Amino acid sequence: MFRSFLFEILRSAVESIKANKLRSLLTTLGIVIGVTTVIGVMSVISGFRKYIATSFSQLGANVIYVSKHPWFANVSRKEWLEILKRKDIGIKEYQALKEYGTTFKYISPLDRINLEIRRGEKEASDVTVHGVYEDFSRILNQGVELGRFLSKDDIKYKRHVCVLGQDVVNSLFPEENPIGNKLKIQGRQYQVIGILEERGEMMGNSMDNVVMIPFTTMTEFTGRNKTINVVVYAEDKEKATEEIRWILRGVRNLKPGEEDDFSLNSSEALIKQFNQLTGTFLLISIAIAGISLVVGGIGIMNIMLVSVSERTREIGVRKAIGAKSGEILGQFLMESVVICLVGGFFGIFLGASLTKIISIVSHGNVPFNIPIWSIFLGFGFCCGIGVFFGYYPARKASKLSPVEALRYE
Amino acid sequence: MSELIKMKDVTKVYPLGETEVHALRGVNVSIKKGEFISIIGPSGSGKSTLMHIIGCLDVATSGSYFLRGKDVNKMDGNQLADIRKEFIGFIFQDFYLLPDVSAWYNVSLPMIYNRVAPKERKEKAVRILESVGLGDRVDHLPNQLSGGERQRVAIARALANEPEIIIADEPTGNLDSVRGEEILEILSDLHEKGKTIIIVSHEKYVAERGKRKIYLKDGRVEGKG
Repeated sequence: MFRSFLFEILRSAVESIKANKLRSLLTTLGIVIGVTTVIGVMSVISGFRKYIATSFSQLGANVIYVSKHPWFANVSRKEWLEILKRKDIGIKEYQALKEYGTTFKYISPLDRINLEIRRGEKEASDVTVHGVYEDFSRILNQGVELGRFLSKDDIKYKRHVCVLGQDVVNSLFPEENPIGNKLKIQGRQYQVIGILEERGEMMGNSMDNVVMIPFTTMTEFTGRNKTINVVVYAEDKEKATEEIRWILRGVRNLKPGEEDDFSLNSSEALIKQFNQLTGTFLLISIAIAGISLVVGGIGIMNIMLVSVSERTREIGVRKAIGAKSGEILGQFLMESVVICLVGGFFGIFLGASLTKIISIVSHGNVPFNIPIWSIFLGFGFCCGIGVFFGYYPARKASKLSPVEALRYE
Repeated sequence: MSELIKMKDVTKVYPLGETEVHALRGVNVSIKKGEFISIIGPSGSGKSTLMHIIGCLDVATSGSYFLRGKDVNKMDGNQLADIRKEFIGFIFQDFYLLPDVSAWYNVSLPMIYNRVAPKERKEKAVRILESVGLGDRVDHLPNQLSGGERQRVAIARALANEPEIIIADEPTGNLDSVRGEEILEILSDLHEKGKTIIIVSHEKYVAERGKRKIYLKDGRVEGKG
């Protein structure tokens, strides 16, 4: 029978909220705003994190990028200027790693430059031309769909051959097989030897608008072999990282105690850095939402006090017909919890809508992704606020003496 | 007949600012099961206070009060609530119905606290409303009912948990004499059926209904008859 009693106080709470629709709505506003913020921020951040994680996984989970500077640095301007002064990473570093490295399977230098590529009247703009070694396709775990990838000899003999990404194929060879055909990069002719598998997007940029040519051929027109990256594929990234550091410190003549003047970047580290940054943002948002929930809670306490004093007579009647203090307490607590939950429901709905809108406006770059736990958290918080801020008014109601409550005008 | 209520030297003192109000100054009352009692007296005589104490809404400052042999003065709030729930039904001058819920729901209210199952609650509430002549008014809200009808809903509510005692505080105070008579008829009927009825009133025609009258004046019982 206790369940039926719970149901009755729930029903009475709903009745009383329905009887004061506008007032209840205004009361819940703080809760609504708070929950909307929590759900909205959590969903956006969680969606963004998922997106970043998927995007960066394009870089390969087992890939280490040896670069002059970190991809993502949470440092002061002064520190960053120091980083910019570092010595470049060049082919020398590649050769040392290639020669002494034992912990990684594949290695390739990598230089990139964005160029226009022509074929007769057709042109593909802003194509990222990669200068790489033969291992590169295995490092990225990206095979060829047609033809072949660059070979050792292509590198050795500085051949003018290229492997095309899907986007380039679409712009230059919309209706023919590109293999064996020629195209022009920087005024020189290159023969197409292969087509890369499709990779999709990273951070909204197509990863298929690329052309890969031998690194050695590329140095002919870039003239540079000192400002590059070295890319490594390692099964055991930690071990490889240690070894790479050890080799590079030797090559670059670093004394013991001196800091590394190079950075080992990986998608993992990037995602971790990113999560740290968004974590801070998340905490701040939760704090703001928390404040709004507390303000909302105070609003609820205020309205519940008004409600208790308005309904003093009713409390008197209920007591006269046998309601115990605990039952009156339960009734009013239930009311404040229900108000909070209604607020929570609207908040979750609004937060979800907001996320959906952001997802649509960003063309799906921020995916619509509401973590289930954030919904539970939202509802849980609302219950907590309802109980916490409803307790004092409810207790006040329950402590009323029946005679005084009945006499109340 | 067994003794239902036994009060001895009951006093009630309220603090009022710096001074004290002696609402009851040593009242002795005993009521047997099945009696029809009128408590009468001018305003300020203490009859409401006496009613509250009899009805376990309030406790005496001193003296003893035994209800069905149990010492009410020793009970805490929850025990008093249990007594009210099981043995006492109240009828008030202003009806005191909940305005936002239907007649039957008002009647079912005491059963909620008595943990009666929902279905049974409604059936019983409707049955009692029929017995007071409101069979066609069960779904009406209080403001859709006349004064007399409202008071009959209040009587039905008082009967919901089948109490032994019905305490009516000026039950006809807000009604014209015809409606008032109807209410008194119902109370007389209930008395016939064995309920103990206690009416508090300052109106003579109401008090006349009682088989026994207790006159109160200045917090004391002046006479019985």
